[in-house]
Amino acid sequence: MAENVPITMPEAPPVPVELERTPLVANNRSIGWISDRVAGICEGKTPLWWWMAFIPSALMLGLLGCMLIYQVSTGVGVWGNMHPVMWGWDIINFVWWIGIGHAGTLISAILFLLRQRWRTGVNRAAEAMTIFAVMCAGIYPAMHVGRVWFDWFLFPIPNSQSIWPQFRSPLMWDVFAVSTYFTVSVLFWYMGLIPDLAVMRDRAKSKVRQFLYGLFALGWTGSNRHWSNYEKAYLILAGLATPLVLSVHSIVSLDFAVSQLPGWHTTIFPPYFVAGAIFSGFGMVLTLLIPLRKLCHLEDIITMRHVDIMCKVTLATSSIVGYAYFMEFFIAWYSGNPYERFHFLNRAFGPYQWGWIMMMSCNVLVPQLFWSKKVRSNVWIIFVLSLLVNIGMWFERFVIIVISLHREFLPANWGYFKPTWVDICTFLGTFGLFFTMFLLFMRFLPMIAVSEVKGVTPQADPHHPLGGAKPTTGGHH
Amino acid sequence: MSKTIPPTSPEPETGRRYWRSLDQLAETPEFKDWLQREFPAGASEWEDGHSRRHFMKIMSASFMLAGIGLGAAGCRQKEEHITPFGKAQENYIHGNPQFYATAMPTRGSAVPLVVRSYEGRPTKIEGNAYHPDSNGGTDRWTQASILGLYDPDRAQRFTHGGNTITDAAAMDFLADLSKTAAANDGAGLSFLMESSSSPSRARLQKIISKKFPKAKFYVYDPIDLDIHRRAASQVFGQSVKPYYKFDAAKVILSLDCDFIGAEEDAHINIRRFAQGRNPDKGELNRLYVIESLMTLTGMNADHRLRVASSLVSQIAAALTDAVSGKSAASVAGVDPKWISECAKDLAAHAGECLVVAGYQQPLPVHLLAHQLNSVLGNIGKTIVYNPVPEPIEGSLMSLAKSLEIGGVDTLVIFGGNLAYNAPVDLNWAATQRKAKTVVRLAAYEDESFEGTDWHFPAAHYLESWGDAYTADGTLVPIQPLISPLFGGWTELEVLARIAGENTFSPYEIVRATFSEILGGNTGDEPWKKYLFDGFLAGSAARPASVSLGANANWPAMQSAAPTTDKLEVVFFRDYSVDDGRHANNGWLQEMPDPVAKMVWDNAVLLSRKTAKALGVRNKDLVTVKLGDRSVEGPIWVQPGMAENVVGLALGYGRPKAGRVGSNVGFNAYGIRTVEAQGFTVGATVSKTGKTFPISCTQDHWSMEGRPVVREANLSQFKENPRFAMGMNAPEAPGGDKSFYPNPLDKAKLTAHHQWGMSIDLNQCVGCSACMMACQSENNIPIVGKDLVGRGREMHWIRIDRYYSAPPAKHKWDVLNSESFRPEDEQQFEEWIDDPQVVTQPMLCQHCEAAPCENVCPVNATVHDQEGLNVMVYNRCVGTRYCSNNCPYKVRRFNFLDYNKRSLAELKGPRYPTPLLHATDGKWDILRWWSDPMDPTKGMRNADEWDLIKMIKNPDVTVRMRGVMEKCSFCLQRIEGAKITQKVKAGASGDVIVPDGAASKEVTALKTACQQACPAGAIVFGNIADPESAVSKRKTSPRNYSVLEFLLTKPRTTYLARVRNPNPSMPDFVEEPFSLQEWESKGNHVEEEHEAAPAGEEQHHG
Repeated sequence: MAENVPITMPEAPPVPVELERTPLVANNRSIGWISDRVAGICEGKTPLWWWMAFIPSALMLGLLGCMLIYQVSTGVGVWGNMHPVMWGWDIINFVWWIGIGHAGTLISAILFLLRQRWRTGVNRAAEAMTIFAVMCAGIYPAMHVGRVWFDWFLFPIPNSQSIWPQFRSPLMWDVFAVSTYFTVSVLFWYMGLIPDLAVMRDRAKSKVRQFLYGLFALGWTGSNRHWSNYEKAYLILAGLATPLVLSVHSIVSLDFAVSQLPGWHTTIFPPYFVAGAIFSGFGMVLTLLIPLRKLCHLEDIITMRHVDIMCKVTLATSSIVGYAYFMEFFIAWYSGNPYERFHFLNRAFGPYQWGWIMMMSCNVLVPQLFWSKKVRSNVWIIFVLSLLVNIGMWFERFVIIVISLHREFLPANWGYFKPTWVDICTFLGTFGLFFTMFLLFMRFLPMIAVSEVKGVTPQADPHHPLGGAKPTTGGHH
Repeated sequence: MSKTIPPTSPEPETGRRYWRSLDQLAETPEFKDWLQREFPAGASEWEDGHSRRHFMKIMSASFMLAGIGLGAAGCRQKEEHITPFGKAQENYIHGNPQFYATAMPTRGSAVPLVVRSYEGRPTKIEGNAYHPDSNGGTDRWTQASILGLYDPDRAQRFTHGGNTITDAAAMDFLADLSKTAAANDGAGLSFLMESSSSPSRARLQKIISKKFPKAKFYVYDPIDLDIHRRAASQVFGQSVKPYYKFDAAKVILSLDCDFIGAEEDAHINIRRFAQGRNPDKGELNRLYVIESLMTLTGMNADHRLRVASSLVSQIAAALTDAVSGKSAASVAGVDPKWISECAKDLAAHAGECLVVAGYQQPLPVHLLAHQLNSVLGNIGKTIVYNPVPEPIEGSLMSLAKSLEIGGVDTLVIFGGNLAYNAPVDLNWAATQRKAKTVVRLAAYEDESFEGTDWHFPAAHYLESWGDAYTADGTLVPIQPLISPLFGGWTELEVLARIAGENTFSPYEIVRATFSEILGGNTGDEPWKKYLFDGFLAGSAARPASVSLGANANWPAMQSAAPTTDKLEVVFFRDYSVDDGRHANNGWLQEMPDPVAKMVWDNAVLLSRKTAKALGVRNKDLVTVKLGDRSVEGPIWVQPGMAENVVGLALGYGRPKAGRVGSNVGFNAYGIRTVEAQGFTVGATVSKTGKTFPISCTQDHWSMEGRPVVREANLSQFKENPRFAMGMNAPEAPGGDKSFYPNPLDKAKLTAHHQWGMSIDLNQCVGCSACMMACQSENNIPIVGKDLVGRGREMHWIRIDRYYSAPPAKHKWDVLNSESFRPEDEQQFEEWIDDPQVVTQPMLCQHCEAAPCENVCPVNATVHDQEGLNVMVYNRCVGTRYCSNNCPYKVRRFNFLDYNKRSLAELKGPRYPTPLLHATDGKWDILRWWSDPMDPTKGMRNADEWDLIKMIKNPDVTVRMRGVMEKCSFCLQRIEGAKITQKVKAGASGDVIVPDGAASKEVTALKTACQQACPAGAIVFGNIADPESAVSKRKTSPRNYSVLEFLLTKPRTTYLARVRNPNPSMPDFVEEPFSLQEWESKGNHVEEEHEAAPAGEEQHHG
């Protein structure tokens, strides 16, 4: 901790009770404290818990490598995919990870545009989560195909035979949607990191750190011109990222909606998938941040207010998803299509009934507990519920993909899908990738958007009684 | 072996095998011998009586060493007409296939064939449509038999006492044997053979009998189809064999006779039966089946009575009484009305009905069947009796007796695998050893190899000269397509050597027989024509005039109905592996059983009630105990089985079948005794507490009331011929207009051809010959039991089989519906007791608006302007989206590199990565690294690879892993026909391929499934031509397409099925169960009058 930094600011004059808002940074922390606390996570000695989390994660990442080598060298047959369930855990996990990758950009872009100042406490970590989740997701479409070495056929690369990809295929749209989303998310995240990288550079004590942070800080000095350009660029990227949040999962949903399978062929999918993605994304943010704020002592920055807001978003999106579930059943009945009807009854009463029950209970029933203020203020319960949300959303994809495929038009084709150990280990392996990346991120990069959080402290507001430069504290920054 | 065996190098008759390299030559015993000696063997010694032979042998060996072994040695036969490709044939165009007529011998008959060969390499078998008793259709065994030719597990060596010897040594032994026999009149010489209709063999047997009067012949077949001849001969007092004319019969009664599936010449029966089942052309025949198992015949029955096999005899007697107007005795558990009404129907169709009895049934039932036919005046009309020579062979039982008393010195066995399939109480392995010398000519070194002294490899029929009589008595030649891959011998050759004939060449033997049949040497021309045609025209048997004595009457065998503690066991011929002879044939092992859809296994078949009473369920491993013997096998509850009957398929559980067939299933021969070869009562079934996995290609049994297979009764069809169209889903309000114009609609107007297919569900009996034909034609790999269990079978055409029951039995209410339960629960459901069964060949429908195409991201599946949905394997990356979006689920994905994985892996469940696998002692990745272009880089051993690649159709891409594949309508044949037609058309511009459906030419454009179908159910052709057979088919009022409401506009359409039940039968139902099921879901058949056939609008523009 730097010397001569006051622990708290001087007392502010009393604010009338009716105007009082819960501050975004609790305990009236000073600007210097924020820098110290956040940068401290990257600077101090590596805590034991970090190693305890990192080593298993890295081992699981190794497992992912082994599984993928096995699969590519041997064939997709090592997975459980079968006739008629040609997509199994590969696409379930793809959609699941993509869904998780939704909260980050939503928080950083849409909430930025909507001037939701509370986002600053969580946006950096959420964005990182997004990027790593999309990486995990991207493994699946790239590796699940039969001939991985021909993946480049999916890109519109001019060739001597003038063969182009088939632009009518939703998988083609996926390629563009996901790669664009990933690119913009990475840019947006990096853009936001620049001022904080400069803070890290300025605080760095070793040459290597100075050089690397300095390299990536792109010569940031914090001048007004820099800030002005930065703010404009950030706003533009936010504007670009916003439609992507909606488009990616809409397009992923079209993989299903464009086909003609009962259970897939439905117009409700795009909005319902986006809602589900935000739901699962917030679930994952909660799962990650609840332990992290404790372990990294960030309770004053990621406050209970943040947690409370995220619980509310989860509740809202859960309700949208629940409405969609209900609407699918209604339309199946209302349409009078016997195949559609059979499919939905088979969801609820068929051999995979347990999958449907998991989905309904975790996605629709369990989040209803968030109506209670008591629940929203108990981190233990929230943590468990957020895990259930993640599980429920996995089952949603299971229900959509496996249950739709396993019993469709001709009863002669009906089958029962079971995953293999390779499916399971590959999925575990993606967690290895995700957590390895996330742990490295939080250890080497500021996990909280330092400059932005400072911007929402009362002191940053010149009109605030405590705002602006005060002679008593000597204009710290 | 590390190199491909040159396909057509002729082997010298009496000399050594050719060497193929100097190294190989240096390895030969002759060469080593020659190195050591000052003078060649025999030149310095002159001691034995074989001097001339030995001299000639030395001569030929010397010639070989000098490199000029061809045809110079003095006593060699004339060079035969298989020529190596070093000598180009006249008019031969490299790459174009050649076709040769031949025949596949069966037990007492043969299937006339035309075999396609590329560069001397036979790859595909077709029926010979010019044969007077053939439409070009074949059966599944014939289609798959080509794989047996290239089986790497075939016997490849001559052995004596288990040690490899040269074929010359084997010849010497046979010569000695002949001499001994000549000296002692053949005393102690016995031959054990399998049945055959070969006149050459009969002639040689006669010669042997004459030369060695004390020599004896015996015959044994585990599946005794000769009973038909024996019964007829006994009834009519002369040696005759029945021939059934199912096409002439309006009413057919089967007494436990699976004439569509397991009987001999089933493909002929299917053809004739199907001819009587075309409602568009008039009356339908009616099939009554009384049976214990659910068989293919039972599946096609209009009325089916399930009773234990042991009761069939009493029912037959009751029917005979009822038909002759006597009062019929009642049979326990059988509705007397069923018998009396059936008898009435038969009597009403006297002279145009037919009664047939099954091979498992004992003689009295056969006698009753003949009596019934005689009483009904069917003889000479629906059944004829062809004279056949009286056999001279004794039975296996008499051979066993002879062996017991030490009456056999030398036992020569042809083919039979008795250590495996002889009745278990004969204890054959030990009994056989009572002969001093056991000689065996067989295709495999199998279970019976152990007990033999001399073992010679047998040639495959595609490597042999031979002859046979087909069912109608027509003489057909068997001519080789390739010289023996492993130097095998034919039966004729061995018999001739033992007989001490001057000529051992099978070619000469067959030719001599032919001359004899023609009545003397008639020169080359008739012989050439005989070989060219593949049959001797006009040689069909003239039916004997037979009549039954007035007092003929055979009493029924009285036997009590089986009970749960005295179960009836029925041993039956398996639809895949026959009696076990095809156990090492992967195609047949993986062919789903046409009834149970099970692969790679047999099972203990039980009815639902019996299983319940015994407290067992599917996949429970049980012990079936009969007397003091028992076998263990898994339970399979088979819908439609008779109560208290245990069905055991023969042919499985072979310990030494080869790398494909060893230890697949369980061995039902283990409890099959001399007395109980067909069926017997008195078995018990008890649980072992273990379970056994069973792989099945169709898990769900019910059609769920969906109009997938549409059927009606004849009366309904007559009232509303367009009932199938009337079952279409109601059109959406405003009509089903397409959003976008289909680019194909334009192409349709200009392209020369528009391909389409029509499948008549009334003619399809589900025999599965099409599946084997497709597998052979399209290089379709097998995947093994484990992977089939995971839903990865690769068949491009499959036969869907649905059971249906009255809706009252098959519940539909949501909360208690059987439809939503797991498939495992079907076995407990009541409705499966007496189901109706339908079959439906399902293959790529070649939709005009194909859902697979627009979802493929890489354009790997696209449409061509002739209406084909084509797969571009090179382009496919394997996203599998096309399969997900295919409503018919007819696309198949190569989950693993099936063509490069070894047969040993077929059993799964572990599939090694090539990174950690070694083949032929070398690490795969190193093999790949050292030569990426080496085609043997797969994980197959070299011997396997060398043979398996020879069977591939060179016109069809062999697919690698990771790509999707599916039926192409035999695109290679279409293109071949188009090229041929273009060449022929020349300047005339007449490039439209003539309709192949009606042509008998083997090269006429037909898909492989169409060509193989004995029923003629599949018709393919150009639907742009209104005169083509397929276009005409599609104008049938029964025409419909599956899932028409999806507007995929399939080019494959189906003709609805029509049943013909008898309204006065007690089990008569107004309409088929499947239709009832469909109607119970709130549907009703619309009256359709003017509607065009689905998906067919504007084709004729």
